[in-house]
Amino acid sequence: MEKVKKKILVVDDDERHLIATQEVLTNEGYEVFTYSWWLGVTNFVRRLQPDLILLDINMPALSGTGLSSLLLSNSGTKNIPIVFYSSNDEDSLRKTVSEYGARGYISKGNIYELKRKVAYYLDNNIQ
Amino acid sequence: MEQDNAVTIGKLIISNECMPPYTEANIVADRFLKSAHLDAVALVEGREPIGLVTRHKLLFKLFKRYGFELYGKKPIIALTDTEPLIIHKDERLDVAIDKALERQAQDAYDDIIIVDDNDCYKGLVSVKQMIIQQSNSLANIIIQKEMISAKVNELKKAELMKSQFVANVTHDLRSPVNVITVVAELLNLDSERNDIEGLKRHLSLLMSGATNLRALINNILDLSKIEAGKTEVLNENFDIVTMLREVGETTRILIGNKSVDVEVIAHDGPIFIDSDPVKVKQILTNLTSNAAKFTEKGKIVLSLAAEGNNLSISVSDTGTGIKEIDLNKLFQPFSQLDYTKSKKNEGTGLGLTIAENIVKLLGGSIRISSKFGVGTTFTVQLPINQSDKTNAKTSAEAISLHDIKTIVLTEHEESYGKG
Ligand SMILES: Nc1ncnc2c1ncn2[C@@H]1O[C@H](COP(=O)(O)OP(=O)(O)O)[C@@H](O)[C@H]1O
Ligand SMILES: [Mg+2]
Repeated sequence: MEKVKKKILVVDDDERHLIATQEVLTNEGYEVFTYSWWLGVTNFVRRLQPDLILLDINMPALSGTGLSSLLLSNSGTKNIPIVFYSSNDEDSLRKTVSEYGARGYISKGNIYELKRKVAYYLDNNIQ
Repeated sequence: MEQDNAVTIGKLIISNECMPPYTEANIVADRFLKSAHLDAVALVEGREPIGLVTRHKLLFKLFKRYGFELYGKKPIIALTDTEPLIIHKDERLDVAIDKALERQAQDAYDDIIIVDDNDCYKGLVSVKQMIIQQSNSLANIIIQKEMISAKVNELKKAELMKSQFVANVTHDLRSPVNVITVVAELLNLDSERNDIEGLKRHLSLLMSGATNLRALINNILDLSKIEAGKTEVLNENFDIVTMLREVGETTRILIGNKSVDVEVIAHDGPIFIDSDPVKVKQILTNLTSNAAKFTEKGKIVLSLAAEGNNLSISVSDTGTGIKEIDLNKLFQPFSQLDYTKSKKNEGTGLGLTIAENIVKLLGGSIRISSKFGVGTTFTVQLPINQSDKTNAKTSAEAISLHDIKTIVLTEHEESYGKG
């Protein structure tokens, strides 16, 4: 029986980050979904039930932090692990992670860290 | 502003009225009756003060029944307080007030005698005067405190804005760099696999990231140069009509294949003004590139008019428009509105901030009017610097748009004139 692919959702308002991230992770054998518009994102997540969400923080309309609070307070989505995926500096990322109850963060710009950390967060999805 | 503890009592001397101690009481009374504002007179022997006569107490005594008969001819010293309060001129005001009010109730508001280092008589100070002065300095202290705390708040705010700015710059610079790095890795994989399609796709992504980064760096450098006051204005005499047409053509190119016409409405023939052409062009380009980005169909109109001593250039579009509550956000650095955000990649959020700063530098102003869903008009007013060296078509009169010509640049980049 073929192994079911893990589903990853990437939310980012920068199209280029979405494309690049999707390619990298698709090559790793994941099924990657992207979302660049905050409208209806919670519904989308509820229906998709991804195994991991990579969430950009600096989006003008709805901040990644706001969105993570929303997802974590919603019964249909609160068990899905959220990882911030951002160009912010690591100090501020660490703070944001603990403040908003995300699983962790991945700094943008490094393919190897992206692959490694995504694998790690998928394997260590302790609820 | 005067510091409260620097106020010494000597500075408040209002009179130096004095009389010898053996003056007849009648004469002193006469002195009081003649000058209504005189409250007290010091009795001075040699230069040493030995007593104080107050209007109220002396007249009270004399005007009583038989008062003048009983006391009128007596030496005034016999009728007065011979232990008046004497204070050194350098005494602090608050200490002096305490001393004055510590006196017996009936004496508490008597004037105070001020002496110098040699105990010589300097003059009189009224308690009322002292108290007024004291409360003024208290008020000053309060005002000072308020001013200081306002200043502190201002600094805090500026500090906050600065760190917000730095945070934005940091993030916005890293973001395209990260795109470029990741895409470079993907390109690497493509070449290992001989994947030509992948190479093409990723190269264009790389270019887009690099272009964005370049724009951002240019903008940030421009802005910091302006803010550091390092931007020089180099005025030249140039034809604004030609510039407007050139900007119109560039705009048409930026629009790509969207069905948006560009119209340039200006005087038919050159209008020379004295200003900095590079900066004027940058302002116009920043405005038209926005119009091009945020307009999907309809038209973009560049027009020129004269208003008094100002030249007014407006860029209006039939694009997304801007909600009223967002209008004042636009000129803040890094502000990009959510409903225009699909184009975020193509911008830096600095264009309008820079345009506004340059306009100010050139002595002009910028206005915006917009209707959400209908369109937006930015109007730039620049002073017309009249110069006589070339043809004097710089005056408002000369620019009165009798001879208007509209140039329409359509999708196919052919231009034709009308009007
Ligand atoms: N003509 C316009 N129509 C609609 N929105 C506009 C227009 N010009 C500017 N804006 C809004 O103002 C924001 C800031 O503009 P700007 O400072 O030029 O930055 P950028 O163009 O890099 O995004 C834009 O992102 C957009 O949301
Ligand atoms: Mg712009």
